[in-house]
Amino acid sequence: MRANVWSGRNTVQVENVPDPKILNERDAIVKITSTAICGSDLHLYDGYIPTMKRGDILGHEFMGEVVETARGVTNLQVGDRVVVPFPIACGDCWSCRHEMYSICENSNPNAGIAEKLFGHPTAGIFGYSHITGGYAGGQAEYARVPFADVGPIKIEDDLPDEQVLFLSDIFPTGYMGAEFCDIQGGESIAVFGAGPVGQFAIASAVMLGAEQVIAIDQYDYRLEMARNRAGATDVIDFSKDADVVEQLKLLTGGRGPDAVIDAVGMEAAHGHGALHAAERVKQATRSETDRGHALRDAILACRPGGIVSIIGVYGGLMDKFPTGALMNKGLTIRTGQCHVQRYLKPLYERIRNGDIDPSFVITHRLGLDMAPDAYETFKHKQDECVKVVLEP
Amino acid sequence: MNRRTATTVGRAREEVTRLWATPGYRTDYIDQHGATVAFKDAPGDRGTEIHVDLDGEGRNGRGGMLRRFEGSTGLAKVKDELRRFKQRVETGVIPRSDGAPEGESAERKIKQRPAQPLKDSELQKAGG
Repeated sequence: MRANVWSGRNTVQVENVPDPKILNERDAIVKITSTAICGSDLHLYDGYIPTMKRGDILGHEFMGEVVETARGVTNLQVGDRVVVPFPIACGDCWSCRHEMYSICENSNPNAGIAEKLFGHPTAGIFGYSHITGGYAGGQAEYARVPFADVGPIKIEDDLPDEQVLFLSDIFPTGYMGAEFCDIQGGESIAVFGAGPVGQFAIASAVMLGAEQVIAIDQYDYRLEMARNRAGATDVIDFSKDADVVEQLKLLTGGRGPDAVIDAVGMEAAHGHGALHAAERVKQATRSETDRGHALRDAILACRPGGIVSIIGVYGGLMDKFPTGALMNKGLTIRTGQCHVQRYLKPLYERIRNGDIDPSFVITHRLGLDMAPDAYETFKHKQDECVKVVLEP
Repeated sequence: MNRRTATTVGRAREEVTRLWATPGYRTDYIDQHGATVAFKDAPGDRGTEIHVDLDGEGRNGRGGMLRRFEGSTGLAKVKDELRRFKQRVETGVIPRSDGAPEGESAERKIKQRPAQPLKDSELQKAGG
C-alpha cells in the first residue's frame, strides 16, 4: 500500500510499504477513506519529539471502512464505516474503566521507554513516535487498529467524511480543553492558538455557555476564522502587540480570564522577536525541548483562582516555568492527551443535531501523494492553511 | 542497587495468584532467577499488587553474585514480564505494534523496527 513516512527532520515521503495484517485477536484492519495532518504531526516533522525512526508511518486522524476483523472484535462487521480515535486503549485497565483512555496502562508495548521519560507509560498512539508504542499511523491506504472492540465509533448515517473525521482527535481535544474550564455560563475564556484545536476549543467554550471567548494568534486569517466561524467574541493579534497579558486584562476589566486554554504546545511563537529567538536557540541546542511563551502568558493572564487548561502538546522539559504565579494565584492546572473514546458518542450526537459542523476548519483537500507538499504548506502557514485533509 | 519492582493488576488476589501459576501466563525469567514474589491486596478497587525482588534470597544468598552481575538488564526483563502478565490478565492479549511486534521486550527497546507493517517473513519470526 501507499503510506506517508517520516524520513528525518523536515522530510516525509509517500512510499510503498507492506499491507497491515491482523496481529492480535482484538485487531481490525481499516481501509482509509480520509485522513488529516494534525498540528502535533508538525512536532514530529520538525524533529522535536524523541524516539522517531526513519520509515515510521505518520498520521493519527483517520476514518474508513472495516475490511477485516479478528475473532475478538464482535462489535464491528466488514463494511462498517468507522472513525478511529487516536489513543489506543484496552478498555479493561483501571484508567480505561475510569474513562481516562489516553493513559491506558496496557496499550503501549514500549512502556519501558515511556517510563524512563515520563515516570509512567502512557497509551499507545497511532503514528506518533516509539515512546507511544511504535504503531504505524493512518496517513496510508490501510491501518491496523488494535483494540478495535473499544476504540472506533460506527458512523451509521450519511454524513460526509469531512463532518465526522475530526472526531478522531481535534474536535474532542478542543472540547476537552473547554470542559476542563468548568464553564457554568457567563465566564471569560482565553484560548491561546487559533489553529484547528484552538478553533474547536473556542467553538466548544461557546457551546458550553461561556459569555466571552478571546482568541489569541498571530495570523489574521486564523483570527478571522475564530471570530466568524468558531464564535470568538474578541481576538488578540500578538504580531501587532506582543503584550498579551496586558491585553487580556484590558479585555476582562482587569480581572483576567476565568480560565485559559493553551492550544499551542511546545513550539510557541512570541510577538517579541528577541524573546522568541532566545527560546529557539535553547530548543535548537536541546537545553529545553518545550518553548513556553504561550503557557507562561496563559498562567500570568489567568485570574487568581482560575483554571489553566493545557491541551497543546508538550514533550519534555521547559525552561522558566512560572511556578510563583501558579502557586500564589492559586491556579488549577488541568491537562492531558484527549480521552477521545469518552467524547465520541456525545460529540457525534452534537454533529448529528447540527450544533456544530466541524468541517469549517478545512482549508485544503489533497490526495495522499501530496502529503510532502501539504506538510510544508501547513508548517509555514502558506496559502492561509488551517487544516489539511488527505484522501488515499 | 535496588532490584525491586511492582505492578498492580486489576483482579482479585485469588485470581491473580491462580493465573500466576498457570502455564499460559508463565513468567520464566522471574521463576528462573530465584526472585521473591509477593502478592498484596491493593487499596480500594485497584486489584492486586505484585512485588518482585530480584535479590530475593539476599545479596549474599545463593546466586546473589550472578544476579548482581546481571544488574539492570535483569530488572528490565522482570518489568517486561510483569507488564506482559498484567496485559494478558487484563486484556487477554499481549499488545504488539509495528515497532515492537513481539510486544514489550527489553531487547526490542534498543532496536525498534520502523512503525510500518511487517513483511510476511518478519511476521513469521515475530510469532505470526
